[in-house]
Amino acid sequence: MKHREILFPITIATIMVLSLSHAWSQEFKPSKQIEAVVHTGPGGGSDLLARAIAELLQKEKLISQRMQVVNKPGGGPAVAMSYLAEKKGETHTIGFFTGVWVTNPLTTAEANVTVKDLTPIVRLVLEPAVIAVKADSPYKNMQDFIEAAKKNPKKLAQSGGTITSRDNLMRLLLQKATGAQWNFISFPSGGERLSNLLGGHVQMMVIEPQEAGEQIRAGNLRVIAALTEKRLATLPNVPTIKEQGIDIPLIPQARGVVAPPGVPREVIQYWEGVFDRFEKTATWKQYLEQNQFEDGYLKGPGLSKFFDDLTVQMREVLKEAGAKVVR
Amino acid sequence: MEDLGNLLLGFSVALTPVNLFWCLVGVILGTMVGVLPGLGPAATIAMLLPLTLKMDHTTAIIALAGIFYGARYGGSTTSILLNIPGESSSVVTCLDGYQMARQGRAGAALGISAIASFVAGTVGVLGLMLVAPPLARFALRFAPPEYFALMVLGLAMVVFLAGESMVKALLALLVGLWIATIGTDLFTAESRFTFGQVKLLGGVDFIAATVGVFAIGEVMVNLESQGGAEIFKLAKGLRNLLPTLQDLKDCRFAFLNGSVIGFVVGALPGAGATVASFLSYGLEKAVSRHPEKFGTGVIEGVAAPEGANNADAGGALVPLLTLGIPGGNTTAILLGGLILWGYKPGPLLIQEHPELFWGLVASMYIGNVLLLVLNLPLVPLFAQILRLPYYVLYPLILGISIVGVYSVNNSLFDVWMMGLFGLLGYLMRKLDFPAAALILGMVLGDGLERALRQSLMMSQGDITILAARPISGTLLFFAAVILCLPVVRKVRSWRIEAIERES
Repeated sequence: MKHREILFPITIATIMVLSLSHAWSQEFKPSKQIEAVVHTGPGGGSDLLARAIAELLQKEKLISQRMQVVNKPGGGPAVAMSYLAEKKGETHTIGFFTGVWVTNPLTTAEANVTVKDLTPIVRLVLEPAVIAVKADSPYKNMQDFIEAAKKNPKKLAQSGGTITSRDNLMRLLLQKATGAQWNFISFPSGGERLSNLLGGHVQMMVIEPQEAGEQIRAGNLRVIAALTEKRLATLPNVPTIKEQGIDIPLIPQARGVVAPPGVPREVIQYWEGVFDRFEKTATWKQYLEQNQFEDGYLKGPGLSKFFDDLTVQMREVLKEAGAKVVR
Repeated sequence: MEDLGNLLLGFSVALTPVNLFWCLVGVILGTMVGVLPGLGPAATIAMLLPLTLKMDHTTAIIALAGIFYGARYGGSTTSILLNIPGESSSVVTCLDGYQMARQGRAGAALGISAIASFVAGTVGVLGLMLVAPPLARFALRFAPPEYFALMVLGLAMVVFLAGESMVKALLALLVGLWIATIGTDLFTAESRFTFGQVKLLGGVDFIAATVGVFAIGEVMVNLESQGGAEIFKLAKGLRNLLPTLQDLKDCRFAFLNGSVIGFVVGALPGAGATVASFLSYGLEKAVSRHPEKFGTGVIEGVAAPEGANNADAGGALVPLLTLGIPGGNTTAILLGGLILWGYKPGPLLIQEHPELFWGLVASMYIGNVLLLVLNLPLVPLFAQILRLPYYVLYPLILGISIVGVYSVNNSLFDVWMMGLFGLLGYLMRKLDFPAAALILGMVLGDGLERALRQSLMMSQGDITILAARPISGTLLFFAAVILCLPVVRKVRSWRIEAIERES
């Protein structure tokens, strides 16, 4: 009798230890639908990217479960970020970040989740930017525009997003480097930014090459500078801002994937594995080309460092711009 | 002549069995999405986009566009029957549509909204086909001062939404304008009236607020009036289930008004179908011979906004297809789709891919006919909902409202907001404040403030920019005329009284 009484707990303990060690050695594999959180409504940049990636991952058979895109708009990325933070330890949820996930918490007191609270997985995309003017405007290059702005201080205008967006930060850096001053007018949607430039109501816009491409081809827009280190393959005749003698730090617009805080190591490894293979596929390369994105592949400690560096850089730029920095 | 040839090319594309089939699937899905509050065409198209990758691209856009304009047909159903706006552009439809339903004319209201949708939808396609490039160029002339003037014109419509007391209407409007300021300020990225709530950073959800004020408020008021009372008169006989010839005659101008306003406003990237529907309702009341009856169940009050929100769908495709500029969420997804399918949406799209554009145009003619044929027989069926006893109907309204509002952002917070706005709607009914004026403020507040600040940034603080430009000056002039109408009417009624007293 006694033997049995002792044997029973021992057996149980053994089974538990065995099963646990089994679990440790086993790789993570999603067992149900994966939830992909984006901070824009349907049709926003993150939403379109997430939906495309969900589709392409399935097409390449890199994930065995469905990936469902969940829109959590509100307060820039704040609502989506706090949703992810609430999902602490959740293994079947990921989120698609952009640069605004770094800048927004810096200026918004209520946005109490920072990108450092989340688990970095991979950076996938770097979106280059160019400076565009109307094709029938007198500005043939960056110098023309800067000189015109100096002659008429604060008379010219640029259309863009919020004041913490890359558009405005690039303007502030350009103004600081050149001493010229012009206005920045916020519009909530990309469509309005572009139509105000095409209508001649503003004179300049920081725009993504994909968005500008067709307008250039149709003769509506002219690109006067590339805000990139090297000239863009699609716009080989457009000199970079540095080539035009203006040395400013370039702010990357990055997009990629994070997970909720406190997810197990295996989950991180799983996603890194998936995206390692995904990054090399032809379908992904084709997607990057169609959208004129740069491959921004970066993972692990490199991505953590990227977030840290970007936070420091953004804090400085925002402070110089006179924005209220809260953290 | 060239257009005719192109249109024939379009029909040859659209009439292939595959395209016809997917057009039908699209419009059926669209109708369903429109009927259900919450889940909108944007979310639906986003979900279905991956499925279209393997399709022929023209087929894909025909199907997805079908969802887009089909949803505008369905949006009126719950507005009329249950006072739940099915889409944000169907809010105005509640005003007269629901009153018609209470008077036993639900069938006529549903029928006229299907017919108005068909007429205006078809006019929208005609416009898309004939005047897209010049209209797109005209829309580019709209800068912030013009949008400001448009929003002021919209606000002036409050005159037509007021009941007995203009003061109460203005108060409700101001509260609506205030609610629109809640959230993150676009220009400074600072938060306003969020009370430290992350969930309020994005502002108050429009669907949650409107469903609360209209549907929940209505249920609360009715619950109070001794449960068993008959809310809906029921139509007797089949004849009353559809609009009469007289109804159609009454709506002649509403069809035209809705079509033109919807199409033109739709082509402006910064406006939207909700603004269009308010404007056309206001215009309809302004020219009406019996303006005092609006809000009590007038059939033109349903036809005008329903026409406007359907013509808007055609208008919204104008900047998308001629310039590659999306005006709203749904068109942004269609743009994403075009890129995913390998097109380069922009000013050269129509020229380089005539089969895509003309196939779509032709399919929209067909789609509008399909929608009419689909929707008219559904009218008597939907109208049967009102036969349900109140103890089934009220829980049903609450259920649909909760599910609908939750599904917009998957947010329980929005459901609580709906409850709060329901309470507000109840109090407003009790105290005789017009709920529509509150909603008008919410619809326009954001755009009004934005356009004003953008204009002043453009002009370095010089306020004359708002009136000195030709388009904005004209629009502001009309707004001023509308605002003077009640005064003129008052004076006239005094004069009549005086003359009567003398004689």
